[in-house]
Amino acid sequence: MKKTILAVVACIAGLLIAPFGASASAAQPPALAAEALRSALLQAQLDLSQPAEAIAGVQAARATYDATLAPEMARRAPAAHLRIVDGFARLNAAIQTSDAPAFAAARADVWTAVLQGSYHIVDGAIAGDDAALAQTWLPVREFRRATRFARPNADATLAIDALDKGTMRPADALEVAHADLLDTYQARLNTALDDLAATNAKNYSTRRAEAGALADGYFAILAPAFQTQRGEAALVDAQQRFAQLEQAALAGNDVDAAAAQVEAVLRGFRAAPLTEAEQARRAGQMMRYIKLVPIEYGRGIRNGQVAVDLEIREATTFRDGAEAAFNDLRSIFETRDAAGATEAAQLFNELETHIAQASDQSAVASPDVVREKSDRLIALLTELVPPAWAGQDTGADFDVVATALDQMEQAVAAGQYELAESARIEAYAILESGPEAKIAAFAPQFKTSIEGYFWFGHDGDAGLAGLIQQKAPLAEVKVARKALDGQLALAQDALKGSNAPIAVATNSGIIVFREGLEAVLILAALMASFRTSANKHLRKPMWLGTALAFVASIATWLVMRSTLSLFASFGEKLEAVVSVVAIGVLLLITNWFFHDVYWKGWMANFHKQKQSIIKGAAGQFIGLLILGFTSVYREGFETALFLQALVLEAGPSIVLIGAAAGMALVVLFGLAIFALQAHLPIMKMLIFTGILIGAVLLVMVGNTVHIMQVVGWLPLNPIRWLQLPYWFGVWFGTYPTVEGLGLQFAAAAFVIGSYFLAGRLQKHKLAHGQAKRPTEQPQPMPATK
Amino acid sequence: MKTTLNLPQILRSAACGLACVALAACSAPVAAPATTPAQPANTTAPSAPTSQADLSGIKTYLLDKTAALKAATNDLKAVSDQYYELAKAAGFDYAALFAGNKAQVASLIEDARAKWTVASPLYEQMEGIVAGTPSLAEFDVILDAGASKEEDPANPAPIDLTLPDGRVLEKPGNLFGVSESALWGTFEAFRAKGEFDLNGDGKIEFGEALPDANVLKGAVDTLAAQASKLADAAAQWTPTEADAFTALVVMVPTMSEYFDSWKNSRFIQGEASTQRDFVAISRLADIQDILGSLQVVHQNLSPLIQGVDKTQDEAIGKGLTDLKSFVANVHSQEKGGKRFSPEDADTLGKEAQDRADAIVGQVAQIAARLGIKIEQ
Repeated sequence: MKKTILAVVACIAGLLIAPFGASASAAQPPALAAEALRSALLQAQLDLSQPAEAIAGVQAARATYDATLAPEMARRAPAAHLRIVDGFARLNAAIQTSDAPAFAAARADVWTAVLQGSYHIVDGAIAGDDAALAQTWLPVREFRRATRFARPNADATLAIDALDKGTMRPADALEVAHADLLDTYQARLNTALDDLAATNAKNYSTRRAEAGALADGYFAILAPAFQTQRGEAALVDAQQRFAQLEQAALAGNDVDAAAAQVEAVLRGFRAAPLTEAEQARRAGQMMRYIKLVPIEYGRGIRNGQVAVDLEIREATTFRDGAEAAFNDLRSIFETRDAAGATEAAQLFNELETHIAQASDQSAVASPDVVREKSDRLIALLTELVPPAWAGQDTGADFDVVATALDQMEQAVAAGQYELAESARIEAYAILESGPEAKIAAFAPQFKTSIEGYFWFGHDGDAGLAGLIQQKAPLAEVKVARKALDGQLALAQDALKGSNAPIAVATNSGIIVFREGLEAVLILAALMASFRTSANKHLRKPMWLGTALAFVASIATWLVMRSTLSLFASFGEKLEAVVSVVAIGVLLLITNWFFHDVYWKGWMANFHKQKQSIIKGAAGQFIGLLILGFTSVYREGFETALFLQALVLEAGPSIVLIGAAAGMALVVLFGLAIFALQAHLPIMKMLIFTGILIGAVLLVMVGNTVHIMQVVGWLPLNPIRWLQLPYWFGVWFGTYPTVEGLGLQFAAAAFVIGSYFLAGRLQKHKLAHGQAKRPTEQPQPMPATK
Repeated sequence: MKTTLNLPQILRSAACGLACVALAACSAPVAAPATTPAQPANTTAPSAPTSQADLSGIKTYLLDKTAALKAATNDLKAVSDQYYELAKAAGFDYAALFAGNKAQVASLIEDARAKWTVASPLYEQMEGIVAGTPSLAEFDVILDAGASKEEDPANPAPIDLTLPDGRVLEKPGNLFGVSESALWGTFEAFRAKGEFDLNGDGKIEFGEALPDANVLKGAVDTLAAQASKLADAAAQWTPTEADAFTALVVMVPTMSEYFDSWKNSRFIQGEASTQRDFVAISRLADIQDILGSLQVVHQNLSPLIQGVDKTQDEAIGKGLTDLKSFVANVHSQEKGGKRFSPEDADTLGKEAQDRADAIVGQVAQIAARLGIKIEQ
């Protein structure tokens, strides 16, 4: 009671000196004053064996507080001010008794009360649209500890800047500032609890007392959020447990038990609640990571022994990532199914034990056991995740890609290049089975560069696959990784907002249209020329090939539903092989087309040549069948892969609507070519068809060279002076590389050369035939139109 | 009717065919605008940087240090070579070597240690820049920071040592660490077998050991070669604002790691310490050297930061100065004979870390306001 009266008096005194303090406040920014206070108190603690110096240190800290911080604190954050005043009293008392733990605890109380006061001042200032006051006091704060993977948050700073400029409303700025600061102080609370456990284990009495008081002080900042989420009764209970923990830490008694109580209270509590989008992203990360755990574990174990350490470490990383995401969402899961959440937590622990035991080789669980537990966990988590989050978020894919690339770097650092390649492929497969489709449609300008950095290079820079193949040093791998990260970040940024149903449907329509166009051009061009009764039969093998390709594409789609990442990991290579077959057949067909169709007088002498054609009929049939199949399936495979990725995001109906629209456009385009050709005089139709086939061949050659460069089957020499827009490459297969343009040029030379060579041969043959049988003349071409 | 075609016809038809494809191509860019996302309500786009910092001072500082390190490691190499030749002449029989050349061997060891003690701080004085710059950071792992594969199987220093006798030490750890443990005899595998009373006082005390000449030469030769490579890489490097901010954000918060290694070193644990490196120079000296290089980085960034927030620039500068003074004060007490307890060291380490976290937080705020990305 006496203490409270003293504190109230101090508070009133603070209010009275407020006007005078305002000028002092202007003299020294609060952040510098707070830091001066903090460091003076620490020095006083270090000087505790010399009471006079310790007292001087506390007095200096108090003077700084009174002159600079107290006026605003007393007026805008009276509860924090009371804590500070009380803390100073305890500091002085601790000096008198030379009680280092009590001094450390009081010091922690004063400091966290300063942070609490600043939090409330900033809070009130933002709510009152006073950006200047908020900017002055926000720097009196702590930050999350920077790690290799996480940097201190700057959201509150930027939000207050935006408030100042009038580009953000106070309510929005407040939400951002809360999220930043509460997240920070919860992280600091966790650090304090970890420190408490560590110092208790070492019996460091002063450090333990400080850590216990810090935990209590940080919780005081989080208390309003706790009350909002859990209610008044729960808050009172939590405050009691924190107070008990602080006392236990000070006395050195039953710290572990008190810490366990606090841990139980905090379970599932997240002071800065995640937004709906962040929750969906965490859920996406959780599901992706946990699915990778049994895969990595299984790869690491052979015949009951750990065969590949790195795979076990990867399993650890992915399990830890999944559990971290699970813990972020646990309170939500518990409200949906408390028993399920508990079982899931238990399974996470069991997996941790299995993997840890394998890691230190104390016991090696069978991969089947890990698989079984992972499957059960996946099933549980699938039930726990609210349906609204079921549509997978591309951001989570990028997170998992980054994790897999981290594993790749670790493997390179350890000189384990095979494992590095495995991790690289893993990362690429995740990208291919997820965001690749969206990048292709909505951020196409990044597709080539991302592929290049993943594989064998882009714009003269090395790619990861090439570097790993050459066993390049870590520094070079890091440079390529950095470039890749840059492109991925830009693509991710460009994809924001592209998961709306209309965007996904448009995306799927564009994919189907673009992938289908090339196939349709070949089919329409050739089939349109097979329109006389004499050669109509040649349409049959092409239709048959097309039908088979459709069936194969649908089968691929169905198989991919369960093993998407497996397909994605070798998709490029499969596409390259099928493309080469398609080009080979197309070259044969082109040659045949010019030779038989143009130069033999358009079937005028068909009957006379019948015998020779019949001899080649079987080859023709197979050739056209293969052409029909490969032309469609090479596009069908990629389409199935991309659409499957979109289905994961938006569900099948939206994707199929878009795909149907794209397919309708493809059919219309094909019919238009048919109609155009059917209305052309036969001669012009032939020219048109021939040119079309030639053009398609060029595009196919260009795209195939590109894909073969991506997978490293062809060298890549960029032509730097030639800048072509990305869409030009996508639609015309023209990329500025020596190999791409060179082979396209060679293909063009082949087509034109075939045309003239066939003509020359035919003339020669005719001349030769005329010499033998001067009466035999070629029949005139029938004028069908 | 002739069945042959003429070229103009082909060209006209080609244009027609290509026009069809081009028609389709036109739809590609059409898709792009649909993807332009609306800015979320809480997006706070940072204002663009209004000025460019002149960072040439960072490079000048680094080049001075790399040149000095190159010279210092070559000096160390010269002494290491002399010791190796002496050991080789004795057939690597260290007992015979010591018995026959006691004074010369002791002098060489002392000289090598002195040269090492010159070289190591030179690196520490640039570590803040080297380790904090992604394109140079691997040198830090190899030269000074990387663990051995036994200590950290997941992330060892990515270097193997091929010794003159043909042995290969796979990922033995960073080069300053290997050479230090060889020179001061803190790791059995790197020192000669036997006991050697270097000062002749009849007792074998800490540091009275002979290095395995093959290990020492292998480590020191590689150290000199890597120092030379670092000098070349530094000459090629052009510091960017992102590099400078990244160096501050990556290196300042490593205080607790340095205090941890100080806490576990002989300077705190005495004979109970099992740490094999950081025995020659207190980590407190290293911390001051590292902070010195980070102050150089901050000084070069200061005009840019002042353009955004003078108060915060002042706070960052003061924070670095105060942190360095804080460590210097502890170091001075240590040099004055004060023996800190492990709990004292823990308290001091936490204080240093808290100060570092505050500095880094402020740097991160400025970087965000300038729209400068801190790299991983």
